Amino acid sequence: MKFLLGTGLLGCLMVFSGVALSEHPEFPFADSTQEHRFLELTKELRCLVCQNQSLADSQAGLADDLRKEVFRLLKEGASDQGIIDFLVQRYGEFVLYKPRIKPATYVLWYGPAALLLLGALALLILIRRRAKTPVIAPCGPQAEQVRRLLDQD
Amino acid sequence: MKRVVLLLPLGIFLVLVGFFAFGLRTDPTRLPSPLIGRPAPPFELPNLTRPEQRITAADLAGKVSLLNVWATWCTACMQEHPVLMKIATIGEVALYGLDYKDKREDALAWLGELGDPYLGSAFDEDGRVGIDWGVYGTPETFLIDKAGTVRYKHIGPLSWEDWNRTLLPLVRELKAEKG
Amino acid sequence: MPWLAGTALLHSLAVTEKRGLFRGWTVLLAIMTFSLSLLGTFLVRSGVLTSVHAFASDPLRGVFILAFLAIVVGGSLTLYAWRTAKLRPSGAFSGLSRETLLLVNNVFLVVASASILLGTIYPLVLDALGLGKISVGPPYFNTVFVALVLPLLLVIGIGPAAQWRRQGWAALARQLCPLFFLSVLVSGMLSFALPNPRFLVTFTALALAVWVIASSIGYLRSQIETRRRLGGGVGSVSRGSWGMCIAHMGVAVSVLGVALSSALSQQRDVRMAPGDTQILGDFSFQLIDVKTQEGPNYRATVGHMRVSEDGRELRVLYPEKRLYKVRKDVMTEAAIDSGFTRDLYVSLGEPLDEKGSAWAVRLYHKPFVSWIWWGGALMGLGGFLAASDRRYLATARRRLEKETPVLTSPALT
Repeated sequence: MKFLLGTGLLGCLMVFSGVALSEHPEFPFADSTQEHRFLELTKELRCLVCQNQSLADSQAGLADDLRKEVFRLLKEGASDQGIIDFLVQRYGEFVLYKPRIKPATYVLWYGPAALLLLGALALLILIRRRAKTPVIAPCGPQAEQVRRLLDQD
Repeated sequence: MKRVVLLLPLGIFLVLVGFFAFGLRTDPTRLPSPLIGRPAPPFELPNLTRPEQRITAADLAGKVSLLNVWATWCTACMQEHPVLMKIATIGEVALYGLDYKDKREDALAWLGELGDPYLGSAFDEDGRVGIDWGVYGTPETFLIDKAGTVRYKHIGPLSWEDWNRTLLPLVRELKAEKG
Repeated sequence: MPWLAGTALLHSLAVTEKRGLFRGWTVLLAIMTFSLSLLGTFLVRSGVLTSVHAFASDPLRGVFILAFLAIVVGGSLTLYAWRTAKLRPSGAFSGLSRETLLLVNNVFLVVASASILLGTIYPLVLDALGLGKISVGPPYFNTVFVALVLPLLLVIGIGPAAQWRRQGWAALARQLCPLFFLSVLVSGMLSFALPNPRFLVTFTALALAVWVIASSIGYLRSQIETRRRLGGGVGSVSRGSWGMCIAHMGVAVSVLGVALSSALSQQRDVRMAPGDTQILGDFSFQLIDVKTQEGPNYRATVGHMRVSEDGRELRVLYPEKRLYKVRKDVMTEAAIDSGFTRDLYVSLGEPLDEKGSAWAVRLYHKPFVSWIWWGGALMGLGGFLAASDRRYLATARRRLEKETPVLTSPALT
């Protein structure tokens, strides 16, 4: 468990490429697509009891029950969105690790891009301003020394 | 202009401190119920003490009712039990129970020993109805109005103070509503 | 967050040290780095957030830490706002130069740090504004962080090759284009050879990691050449240069670890009875037995799992499930076999029947995942090397100042 959490720290793309069919002890998956969907969904859902873990990892009783629900819905042919809606209807959006994109979360989802643009803008303005100051090439007896120092990484 | 830009970090920081101060007074693990303001999720379960009878969500409507989710394996439920007995005696609200993921024999023994405050306890053995009601921990108590709409959810054991300060006024308000 | 801000600080300091620029910004970064460390302390100890890192949640202690935070950070930022206006900018640099690229680095790192902060406190903010309770988890952080790191990797490869003050586009392109095509080629070959569903992201990440390594090596080579021409040898390449390249390569190694382990990772959740064998890639896992063991304050169910590679036995792993007697907590202790090219992970789940004759077992095979940590070690080594560069030692500085009076300009005092 600690190992998993440690790697998660670096914000890495810990997306498991679900490989061949496994004899899942509880869920007889119809095919590997279904198994993959199940893994993906349960990884993006939050356990409400052990709130630090996803539904895929948590061993709480409620997590067990909810995984059974997800599997039942998958078997009945529900879409990914349908399963998510089912759980949100009962537990609220807290259960989603991936926040819905709605007016209240615009700042969250578009914030980083906006900040990046802001940074780029500030940078451009700064460079424009500095470009107005002439770059004085070093001259005179110490020119060679200065040039050498600047070249030294 | 430069002054404004320089004061921006401080400004942002102070706003953050404000949010943190708020955060210190709330519990991040408590979840508000998405059921509030919506009709009570329908269910049909056997009555715990009279298994030949069924309890349904319809039984909760027509009057102001409380649905208390409990289980014998939940120590906090034992804590709130005396309060529930008192509420039952007062008779201001119809008290129903939802026995969540329990064993029938254990539940009957428990009620026999401590007393049964409920007008009826629905026996939710596999917890499916609990999921429909968004139960994530016991005990939880739902307040349902005359029309059968969920109006309030109390998470955790119900204390006498919780009853007097929050629930009772709400119950009286809902009773005054035209059902 | 403090790590990212601190890295931005390191790079901004490079400019301040070399050219006396961005002093106000560097001061702000220094304040931010320390503030974020304090903030981290607050977040994990106050109970304000539910997090894997939170422990000892105590709102009363939280009040104290918040007050401390407000005084220290608030005070620093006030000082900053008040005194920075007095600093006069000096020195110039053109559009394409190492200064600009270092600023670009700063933008990416600061935005990354700010985004993580945003995601972390957003649920709190929404709750405070009465807009409901949401969760922000790995899907958000992964998307945002990866989107910011990939372009940054591109810049890491360009930066060291750029000269201070002014760099010509053509010269830079001539130097870097061959390396760029090399990276694309190597990554292309690797990506096609690997089986994985997220081809585009894996390919991009691999290409950029190879790009960083290639350009770091290229930079070192050109440094050595320059030294040779000036009469020195490999030994006269400054520790700062070595440190920089090793640290950058460390970043690339970590990225390789992330990309490869994400693409190649295998997982199985299976039912195993004593005697059963499961195959995962080249490895086979055989459950020999499951025994009970008494610990000092727990009772453990211990699985004996024999792991073999290509038929040859490697070792026996002992995953445990512990029941702690006092609080009746159940903890799972996974068994991990760590290696340079892969990690193997076995964890014991629930017994699948009353008699305990079959168990739910989770198996992971994660190739190259330890490279994430090796990359970090390289980053640390690089930082240490750069910090121990003689230029930063007081005596060396004094000698330098005596020999080159041009450095004691008013801009630097």
